[in-house]
Amino acid sequence: MPRWLRLTIVVAIAALVMVLVLAFRRAPTDIRTGTVGKPSVAMNVTRLEGGDLTFGGRTDKVVVVNFFASWCVPCKEENPALVRVYERYRASDVVFVGVLYQDSPENGLKYIHDNGVTWPTGIDTDGRIAFSYGVFGIPETYFIGADGVIAGRHIGPIDETTLVNGIESLRAKAQK
Amino acid sequence: MTRSRLLIVVALLAVLAAVSWSARPRAETPAERVDRITSELRCVVCQGLSVKDSPSESARQMRDIVAQRVAEGRTDDQIRDEFRASYGDWVVLSPPLASWTGLVWLVPIVALLAGLAVAWRRLRAPPSTLPEPAPAEVAALRERVAREEALDVVADTP
Repeated sequence: MPRWLRLTIVVAIAALVMVLVLAFRRAPTDIRTGTVGKPSVAMNVTRLEGGDLTFGGRTDKVVVVNFFASWCVPCKEENPALVRVYERYRASDVVFVGVLYQDSPENGLKYIHDNGVTWPTGIDTDGRIAFSYGVFGIPETYFIGADGVIAGRHIGPIDETTLVNGIESLRAKAQK
Repeated sequence: MTRSRLLIVVALLAVLAAVSWSARPRAETPAERVDRITSELRCVVCQGLSVKDSPSESARQMRDIVAQRVAEGRTDDQIRDEFRASYGDWVVLSPPLASWTGLVWLVPIVALLAGLAVAWRRLRAPPSTLPEPAPAEVAALRERVAREEALDVVADTP
């Protein structure tokens, strides 16, 4: 076999291994494509309890946006962590927003009452909010910095540590 | 020209006219545009299905968004770019050439060219020739053959 062919095969195998290593070391809960790193769009949606809810854009606050539904079992699993972290930051510069995704307002209202969701929650009636954020499936949580840029997303049920780490890194960045 | 030849020419002209008529450029209806664009977009909650083919609620909402954008007069590129802004290049079923996903198109072409190059070199290479055996080797082989033939003669003798 000629030397150049052997070299090409070695380089091709090395490139394949590198691609596989890079692909597998990425956490499936943290897909950094689409809207991550881009400014969030200011949205005005209908609140579940009535009235309007505006979020997104530059607010000078850290915003945590959580997409959920009453039919979503993993959403119920992550909810206690969300409630605990919300209580921890409720008097601070951190804002929580819930977005009801592909669900009826009645079911959403029952869900927030039954699960202790006291942060403002809006209804994504036609999927436009989920589309603008690039939601794949719920539960999905987005971290928006004080500058209004979407700094990160978590796909799947989120835990308390991930929530606190996400919030604290953005608070530290905002204070610089 | 005989009558049969005239009929053949007329038939060929008729076929040509029919093909030209069916292939004439015509304006796409908005519904056809929505179908075409959604067939090029990936359903984000499915396995390998387009937005057009998926029965999921997410795909239905995406079809509605495409229909609205078409009604607003947006171009195909503007609609595709909006989806790519939300979901990245992944959402386009045919990855664009001008990004790293363009490797999907380039790698098979490069592999094919490399294979052709190898095949070409092999075909052009002179046939491999075996080195002449040394006279001592030839003599030894001849002696071995003669010995084995002599043994065969002995074994065949009744």
